[in-house]
Amino acid sequence: MKFILNSGRTIRQGKYIENKLSQGYAEETSQCHIHPLDLLELGVEEEENILVTNAIGEVVLVAVADEGLPKGMVFVPYGIHCNSVISACTHGTGMPDYKIHEVEIVPTSEKRKTPVELLEQLGGVRYAGN
Amino acid sequence: MQEIKDMVCPFCGCLCDDVTLEIENGEIVATDNCCAIGNAKFLGKNRLKNPIKKVDGKWVDITYDEAIDTAVDILLDADRPLLFGWSGTHGEAQCVGVHMNEILGGVIDSTTSVCHGPSILAIQEVGHPGCTLGQVKNRADLIIYWGCNPIEAHPRHMSRYTTYADGYFLDNAFRNRKVIVVDVRETETSNVADEFIRIKPGGDYAVLSSLRAILRGKGDMIPDSVAGVTKTQLIQVAEMCKTCKFGALFFGVGLTMAKGKYKNVRNAIEFVDDLNRHTKFTLTPMRGHWNVYGANEVMSWMTGYPYAVDFCRGVAFYNPGETTAVDILARKECDACMIVGSDPAAHFPHSCVEQLRDIPMIVIDPFQTMTTTLADLQIPVAVTGIDAEGTAYRMDGVPLKVKKAIDSDYPSDTEILTRIYDIMLEVKGL
Repeated sequence: MKFILNSGRTIRQGKYIENKLSQGYAEETSQCHIHPLDLLELGVEEEENILVTNAIGEVVLVAVADEGLPKGMVFVPYGIHCNSVISACTHGTGMPDYKIHEVEIVPTSEKRKTPVELLEQLGGVRYAGN
Repeated sequence: MQEIKDMVCPFCGCLCDDVTLEIENGEIVATDNCCAIGNAKFLGKNRLKNPIKKVDGKWVDITYDEAIDTAVDILLDADRPLLFGWSGTHGEAQCVGVHMNEILGGVIDSTTSVCHGPSILAIQEVGHPGCTLGQVKNRADLIIYWGCNPIEAHPRHMSRYTTYADGYFLDNAFRNRKVIVVDVRETETSNVADEFIRIKPGGDYAVLSSLRAILRGKGDMIPDSVAGVTKTQLIQVAEMCKTCKFGALFFGVGLTMAKGKYKNVRNAIEFVDDLNRHTKFTLTPMRGHWNVYGANEVMSWMTGYPYAVDFCRGVAFYNPGETTAVDILARKECDACMIVGSDPAAHFPHSCVEQLRDIPMIVIDPFQTMTTTLADLQIPVAVTGIDAEGTAYRMDGVPLKVKKAIDSDYPSDTEILTRIYDIMLEVKGL
């Protein structure tokens, strides 16, 4: 199913902003809020994983029912998860389309990755000294 | 136990300056008057203990002297360095950053380019009808939150300045002050609004134009529904705005990150301009980082431009869309990067993060961030508002002195950047 992806701040994401390698941050930024009727149409139960894809990339997120969203729109808290499918095109303004990106969503049995796992996949190395 | 009052919270653009901190054995153990985010910031642990450098793909601990020499080498070896971040540090450090960028001939950009950069472009086109938050608190009887969700992003904004605040010139402000929320989705903020306007994604420009048409007596041109908003509601909202005594429109990245970008903001400013023919109305961007406004101020005084300043020609050049961090990284143009008080690996599009991985990168930050994992060097610093002090600008442009609560052995951003800058001057014989 096609959706419009909207990303933004949540208070829980904000709380972990200085501790982004924590489990709490990983849980929050890998959530995908969807209208319950869209979940029904997708055949996905709440807390099941979904695969979000577009031409930029793909990412596995967990579905969270949210009646406050319009049908056809999903909301993902700011973070490396949602940025996996955000294009760097700024239309000459410097600002990517963080609030309005077309994505395709399907159910998946794949597991969510943590931000650290996503960064390690990119070649990042966590400092373990502290 | 020592109690320190009236401290400034270094998290969001509200810069709440009524925070109480309790100190025990040189550590902050409790806060009062903070929101959940500010509380987490003041009580934050896990600071990086010493500078670290990546050698053959592994992190090794190094001294501050070695770290500074490495940073100088990385920056001086680069042809087109990008100095990015700056919204999470104090004004004095931002000044050193601009000086450094001038001698490097690099690009200096702040997180503005991925938050309210488009708002600045609009302000440069049509001006900024702004005022201080004190004016809003004491006078405004109508508040509009457009494309923002202060309960999640600026948690004390409503209690300090709008919905839940007393107003000196208002009778029973809590009951009589009306709040309109405009958003594409229901939020905690829209749930407490007197009027919620729900717009279809990408419809902000059309709705603003319709409200302006109604204000100018051209309501008959408006169709029955505009971007999902009924004409009846548009007429009602235009009337609420026109008949208030003092209105304040706050807007967030819902306008700057959606389709239309700076044109949305320009239309919002012109809507406020139209309203000022009927009543008093002001507009304020809900700035995110605690000193992102300061980064714009400092760069404006020093270079003439508020962000995305390119010194490769020897003079300041500004062209957002070309000299902004996301565009420079997407074009794979910069060959080294220094990040100060920001975490682009968490907030930039994927292809930009890949470029950050592929070039030498220095991070100056108190904590291990997501960007750290892709960096080559990190220098830990003191946290402004906890163990460092400096100047910051609130979202309404009011500068505040951010005091420190405790002493520590960590150097401040200004100290580290000055040491790097001084060596650069020496190497370049300047």
